[in-house]
Amino acid sequence: MKLTKEEYKVLEDIVGPEYITQEPVIMESYNQIWGNKLAFGDKRHNPPAAVLLPANVAEIQMIVRYCNKTGILFKASARAFEYVATKLASERGILLELKRMNKILEIDVKNMHAVVEPFVTVWELQNAAGKVGLYTGKPGVGYTASVISLACCHQEMTISQLYTSGYGRNVLGCEWVLPTGEILYLGTAGREEGWFSGDGPGFSLRGILRGRAGANGGNGVITKCAVKLYPWYASTPMTYEMKRQPGEAISAAMLEKVPENYHVVVLTFPDTEKMMKASTEIGQAELACIVAPAYLANGVMEEGNDEQYAKMKDMKPQDPTKAVRSVPVFVNGHSTRELEYRKKAVMAVMKKWNGYLDPEYNDPRELAHRFQYQMWSVGTSMRPTGDFMVSIQGADGSTEMHLNYRPVEFDAFKPFVSRGSIVQPNMGMSYRPMEHYSLGSSGGIATGYDPWDPDSLAAAREYMDLVYDVNSPFKRFSYTNRGAMMQVEDIEHIHQRWGPIYDNADVWLQKVRNMLDPNRVADWSGYIPPEYAKEDKKAES
Amino acid sequence: MNWENYEHDMIRCTRCSYCKYIPWRFIKNFNFIEGCPSAARYHWHAYASGGKFNMGYSLLKGKSSIDDTFLDVLYKCMMDGSCDISCKVGNDIEPLQYMQELRIKCVDEGQMMPQHQPFIRSLRQEDNMMLKPRAERGNWADGLNVKRAAEEKTEVLYHAGCRYSYDKEFWPIARAGVTLLQKAGVDVGIMGEEEACCGGRAYELGYVTEMDKFAEHQMETFRTAGIKALVTPCADCYATYKVLYDKVGKKLGVEVYHITQYLEKLIREGRLLLKKSLPLKVTYHDPCHLGRLGEPWIHWNGKEYKPKGGLMWLHDPPKKYRRGINGVYDPPRNIIKSIPGLDFVEMYRIREYAWCCGAGGGVIDSYPDFAKWTGAERLREAKAVGAEAIVSACPWCKRVFLDAAAKNGDKIEVLDIIELIQQTV
Repeated sequence: MKLTKEEYKVLEDIVGPEYITQEPVIMESYNQIWGNKLAFGDKRHNPPAAVLLPANVAEIQMIVRYCNKTGILFKASARAFEYVATKLASERGILLELKRMNKILEIDVKNMHAVVEPFVTVWELQNAAGKVGLYTGKPGVGYTASVISLACCHQEMTISQLYTSGYGRNVLGCEWVLPTGEILYLGTAGREEGWFSGDGPGFSLRGILRGRAGANGGNGVITKCAVKLYPWYASTPMTYEMKRQPGEAISAAMLEKVPENYHVVVLTFPDTEKMMKASTEIGQAELACIVAPAYLANGVMEEGNDEQYAKMKDMKPQDPTKAVRSVPVFVNGHSTRELEYRKKAVMAVMKKWNGYLDPEYNDPRELAHRFQYQMWSVGTSMRPTGDFMVSIQGADGSTEMHLNYRPVEFDAFKPFVSRGSIVQPNMGMSYRPMEHYSLGSSGGIATGYDPWDPDSLAAAREYMDLVYDVNSPFKRFSYTNRGAMMQVEDIEHIHQRWGPIYDNADVWLQKVRNMLDPNRVADWSGYIPPEYAKEDKKAES
Repeated sequence: MNWENYEHDMIRCTRCSYCKYIPWRFIKNFNFIEGCPSAARYHWHAYASGGKFNMGYSLLKGKSSIDDTFLDVLYKCMMDGSCDISCKVGNDIEPLQYMQELRIKCVDEGQMMPQHQPFIRSLRQEDNMMLKPRAERGNWADGLNVKRAAEEKTEVLYHAGCRYSYDKEFWPIARAGVTLLQKAGVDVGIMGEEEACCGGRAYELGYVTEMDKFAEHQMETFRTAGIKALVTPCADCYATYKVLYDKVGKKLGVEVYHITQYLEKLIREGRLLLKKSLPLKVTYHDPCHLGRLGEPWIHWNGKEYKPKGGLMWLHDPPKKYRRGINGVYDPPRNIIKSIPGLDFVEMYRIREYAWCCGAGGGVIDSYPDFAKWTGAERLREAKAVGAEAIVSACPWCKRVFLDAAAKNGDKIEVLDIIELIQQTV
C-alpha cells in the first residue's frame, strides 16, 4: 500500500519537494541488490513507497515521529550495497537515503578517533585520517562502504582484525535516533568532553545498538558516530600513484611499491599448524598491523573474464596446499629503527617455526598490490561468477577450532566443486586474528556461485544449509552470521532456529526490539521481527 | 543487439554504484569524485546507469511501462560514458550501449521527448540540429580563401560540423582551423553550404535511421569529391565518423582525424611552429566524444558460454570491451605542452574518467539548465587546480562552459585549443 496524499505531503514538507519521490519508475531502482536472487528467488524485492533524502538529524526525527503516528515503516540506508539494504518488510515502508549527510565532522588526532556522518566512506575517511597520521583499521570497498554502516549496522569483519575487530568496539560516541524519534547519545557523544567513549554508566548500550552483528537498519537511524582510528606512518593514501602501462585498462592500475615505513612479506611454513602458531605469536606480540593467514588475495584482476580465464589457463600448476600454509604479514613503524626491529622480530618467528619466504609470493610489485588491497580497499567485483558468499565461521572461535574444522568443511565442499556448481575463488579459509589473537580468531571461506544458473543457485543454497543449519552435522556456532552478514535465509527463520540453542537469545532480542520500537515502525528485514508469523510458529512447534 | 538482449547486463548489475563515481584508484580530491552528472544532480539511483538497469529489467518483466518519468530519467543523461568506464573496471557489462538501445526502443515505439522534436525536424528539413536554414551553413567561411571540395579536388576535407557552422561566436575558431592547416601546407578544402550534419547527435537520442541517412550521404559525397582524409575540429563529429559509422556498418572510406591529431602531427613534423610565448596557466578538458567515446568501435560477433566445469561467463570468440583506453588523450596534451611559456595543470578527473561538459546526449537542447550545471562543475574543478583558462577541443564543450560561466559570473577563460594554437603560431 502506498502513502496517502496527506502522508506524502507531510513528509514532503519535512524534507522539501526536491528530496522526496514516490515515482514508480524511480522506486523500481530501489528494489534490488546483489544478493537478491539468493535471498528472494528474484532480482527484485518490493520497492519502497517513497524514498527521502533527509538533510539532518532534526528532519530524521520528524520523519520517524510521523511514522510512529501513522504506522509507516522506515529504514535508513547509506550506500545501499549491503544485502537487504533497500528491502522493506512492508510495501508501506519508506527508505531514508542518507546521502546528504556526508561530512567528516571531526578528526581528533590526540584521542585518535573521527566523528562522521552516515554517507562518509571508509576510503574517504582513510584519506582524511592519513593526512594526520591516522588510519581506519579496515579496508573499504572503494566508495561503497559507509563507515557508520560497517561500524554500527553490520557485521564489520575485516581481513586482518588486528585492530579492534567485528565486535563493535570501534564504535565510540554515537548519535542515535531511536525508532520512537527520540535521540539517544551513546557514552560521551554530544557532551563537552568529546566523543571518545561509547560506553556510559550501566549496561553497554553499544551492545543494544548493534549487538553481535548489527541490526541492519532495524534499530532506528545512526546519524553521527565516532570511530576509533589507528596509527598511520606513511603519506595520505591517495597521494600514491596507481600505475599502469599505456594501453592498460584501469583494472591494471595498482600500487607499485609498498609505502614508506611499511614492510610486507608473505611467510610460508611446512604446514598450516606451524603457520598458525607463528601467526599467533606475531599477533600476540603486536608486531604487525596485518596478519592474514591463508589470505593471499591481492586484488589483481585482468580486464575481463575472457582475459582472466586465458591467464588462468596459462598459469603453471600450483601446489594447492601452499596458500593455506602461508601468511601475509604487514609491519610498520613510526621510525626506521622501529620498522627494522619489527621486521627482524617477524623473521625470528618465521625461523622458529621453520618458515621461509617463497619467491612466488614475495615479488615486490605483488607485495605492493597486496598492501593496496588489504590495507586500503578491496574494491568490489562479482564479475567472475556473478556473486559470492562467505561462510564465516564463528567469529568468536579459537584457532584450534578453525584448524580442526577446516578439513571438514573442505570435504563438504568437494562434491559441489566436482559438480561445477560452486567454486572457491580464493585459496582457502582465512584465520583472521581477533584483537591480536587475544580473543581467538575467525575463519571464512569465500565461494563463488552464479545466481542466474539454476543449478548453481540451488547448490549455493544447499551448501549454505549444509554448512550452517542448526541441525547440520557441523553443529557450528554461527547464529547471527548467517542472518546478519549475508542474508541468505529468511531472517525470522534464522532467529527461530538458532535462538533456542543460544539461551533463547531471540526472545531477548525481540523484547529489546519491542521496547525500543513500541509502535513497530523500524523495518526488520535484516533484524528480528516484532513477533513471529503464526504459520512459522506452528511449524516450529 | 537491441535493449532486450541486455538482460544479462540488467541482472548482473550488483548496485555497487561504481557507475556514479570515477574509479576509486584515481581519486585525488574528494570534492571531485563524481563521474555521472545525472546521478550527481538528480539524487535518485534511477539516474545512474545502475538504476536504469533496474528500470529496464522492470520494463522487460512487465512490471512498469514507459511514462514521462521514465523518459525524463532516460534523457537526463549526457550519454557521456563515464558510468561505462567505471562499471567495466569490475564487470563485463555495458551500461552505455544498453542505454543507447533503450533510447532507440523509445523512438521506435513513438515514445519521444517533445523537447527533441524541433531539433529532429530541423535535421530532417535543414540538415542540421541547430534550428537554422541549410542555406546559411557555409556563412562561417565567407571570404575565406579555401577550396570548395565539391568543386575542386582536395586531399583533406575540413568538416566544421553544425556547432561551428551556425554558432556565430565560434566562426573565428572554425576559420582559424582552416588557416592553421593551410599555413602548414595542407591541401585542405571545405564543403561550405554543401556540408551536412554527421547525424551523431540524432543517433544518441535514439534516431537511428537519421544517422544512417546522413552516413549514406557523407559516404557518397566524400567518394564523389575524392577526398582522402577528413579533419574535424568537432569532437562529436569525430566520434560519429570514426566510431558510430563503423558501429552501424557504414564504411566511410576516408581517414578520420580530429584536428588535434592532425595539428600535433604537423607540429611534430615542423610544419607548424609554435613560437610565441603564452604566459598562462591552463588546464585541459577531455571532450567525451574525443576521449572515451572516441575509442574505435570493437566489433564482436559470438556467443556467451561457460567453460565445462566452470562458472565464469566467457565469450567465444573472446570479447574485447571498449574501456576508453584508446581515446584521443595525448595529442591535445602534447600540443598544449609544446606551447612556450604555458603552464599546464591537470584536473582531478581526466582522460577516460573525465567529467562531461554537459552538452551530450541531447541535454544541451532539452535540459539546458542541467547542461550549465554540469559545465559549472567542470569550471569549479578547473579553478580548484588553479587554472586561469580551461581549454577544450570541442565546440559543444566550449558553448556549455561559456554559458555556465556567464550564468555564474565566472571569470575563468574558456578556450578552444585552436584559439590557443592560433595565439602562439
